[in-house]
Amino acid sequence: MIDMRNLKKVYKTGTIEFEALKGVFLKIERGEFLSLMGPSGSGKSTLMNIIGCLDTPTGGSYYLEGRDVSGLTFDQLSEVRNQKVGFVFQSFNLLPYATTYENVELPMLYNGKKAAERKERVGELLNMVGLYDWRKHRPTELSGGQQQRVAIARALAMDPPILLADEPTGNLDSKSGEEILNLFTSLWKAGRTILMVTHDTKIAAYSQRTVHILDGKMEADI
Amino acid sequence: MKFHLLKLFLNEFKKRKKKTSLITFAIAWGTLSLLLMMSFGRGLSNQFRIGFQGLGEDLILVNGGRTSMEYQGLPKGRTIRLYISDIDLIRGLIPEIKRICPESYNTGEIKYKDQETNRNVRGVYADFGPMRNTIAQAGGRFINPDDVTYSRRVVFLGWKLAEELFKEKNPIDEEIYINRMPFKVIGVMMKKLQNSNYQGLDYDHVYIPLSTMALVDSQKYIDMMHIQPVERKYSRYVETRVKEILGEKYRFDKEDKYALSVFNTIEAGEIAGKVFMGIEIFLGLIGGLTLLIAAVGVTNLMYAVVKERTREIGVKMALGAKRRHIVWQFLLEALFIFLKGTFWGALIAFNIVSLVRLAPMSYEMTSIQSYLLRPDFSTGILVTFVVVMGILVFFSGIFPALRASKMNPVDALRYE
Repeated sequence: MIDMRNLKKVYKTGTIEFEALKGVFLKIERGEFLSLMGPSGSGKSTLMNIIGCLDTPTGGSYYLEGRDVSGLTFDQLSEVRNQKVGFVFQSFNLLPYATTYENVELPMLYNGKKAAERKERVGELLNMVGLYDWRKHRPTELSGGQQQRVAIARALAMDPPILLADEPTGNLDSKSGEEILNLFTSLWKAGRTILMVTHDTKIAAYSQRTVHILDGKMEADI
Repeated sequence: MKFHLLKLFLNEFKKRKKKTSLITFAIAWGTLSLLLMMSFGRGLSNQFRIGFQGLGEDLILVNGGRTSMEYQGLPKGRTIRLYISDIDLIRGLIPEIKRICPESYNTGEIKYKDQETNRNVRGVYADFGPMRNTIAQAGGRFINPDDVTYSRRVVFLGWKLAEELFKEKNPIDEEIYINRMPFKVIGVMMKKLQNSNYQGLDYDHVYIPLSTMALVDSQKYIDMMHIQPVERKYSRYVETRVKEILGEKYRFDKEDKYALSVFNTIEAGEIAGKVFMGIEIFLGLIGGLTLLIAAVGVTNLMYAVVKERTREIGVKMALGAKRRHIVWQFLLEALFIFLKGTFWGALIAFNIVSLVRLAPMSYEMTSIQSYLLRPDFSTGILVTFVVVMGILVFFSGIFPALRASKMNPVDALRYE
């Protein structure tokens, strides 16, 4: 599913170079529920961004579903993000002007899916996260937990093989957080690959496997 | 851009109405002020042209004067007077003349029943009517050649004088007395705008055949010669020839500027035309600068909008938006603000102009209303405006839009 070999990322600011990733090897199989842990500045955000095709590596290779994505153009990466990756952010990142329904519909609009197909898919997803009755509400009218569930529905709109969650419970109270994690668990059981970034071992315990990153390098799996 | 993405944009645009309302207002205001300035400027010069034609179209007015140069041993300071015979002389020698008409005027006592007033009495030929745009109101007529040939005692009245003497009554076929001689009214002048004159405005005068002038006035010479060339381009040539011919007859230097007093309305009109074109350009320039400010406002707003929506751009990119989706989103937003603002501005400008045009016209020369109340909202102005504004908005929208699309999704998502 994901195969990274000797992945490197160097940031240049003027003459100063900063090596955020110093040769990462990471393999994720289809159907895994993986937690990525690491302290601030360890390179975990950089790694997540590269996995999600928001950023490109400066060295090494990255195969996503057997395709080398390290050398793609911006618009090609946009397509990969649209079809292969579902993002769930710590701060939900729903569009403030759009309703619940429109937020979930958005990735399908960029893909050019037909109206009937969009409608069916949005209905299906909102029923799954239990927010169909809230489809006409704006994000500001929803609780944090509800907003994150909308974000998950949106991430699944294009039925991507992998779901990337960056501290998905960071902005939630423990009860809502638990609901979100239970939702992830059930998605995983239904066959979805999930990669979750967290710094909390209790949350990491929901996952099947945990990897650690420190100073731009992977530590042994626990 | 596909239809469903346009719908997405429209949806967002509608919900962001409040955020863009101020700049929409600025555009509307810019549109309004530019269109009004151009309309009123155009109206002003139109009215001036019409008023100028009130004196007459393409006329050279020639009057006698006093010599200021010695000539063939004759001293300077001699008075030069023109006589009726000069009319035939000039007409015979200058084929480039279309019409020529003598005029003699003096103040006379006008009496109708028990009303009495002193007015300018002007003895003219029939050609005076078309030359000076002196047209009769329905039911009447101007002096005709037969009136002149048979020295008929008929009179044509300026409209203001007619109103004063006759009030609501129809003056046609009524009898009035000019210096105690009875004259029959044959017509009343149609109202016209006139902004240049000699001896006062045409609407206050009475007109009689030149041949009957002797009944009310003992003057032997004529006071004015109206000359209309066949074509405008001959105006200067005709003027020079007239000076030559009369100079030979009355023995004065044709270069003497004071021997004859000449007013060439064609030249004066051309100069005035330039002045008014200058005013129009000036007003257009002010309006254009106003518009530029509005366009800078759009650019500024678009940059602010891009900044404010940075995170949203990052999210959209993460969800699969391509560069062109982002460019179109912001370009369309600039375009829609422009369309909305221009639409309202133009609509209001059009209504103001239409309303002002409903105001009754004043034909008094001194009244400012006659120049301000006929703004001209031409489609030419609107089309020029829309094109210029479209270009301005495109350029003010494209740079912020490109900046938005070139954002790095990682940085955009991290933006607080």
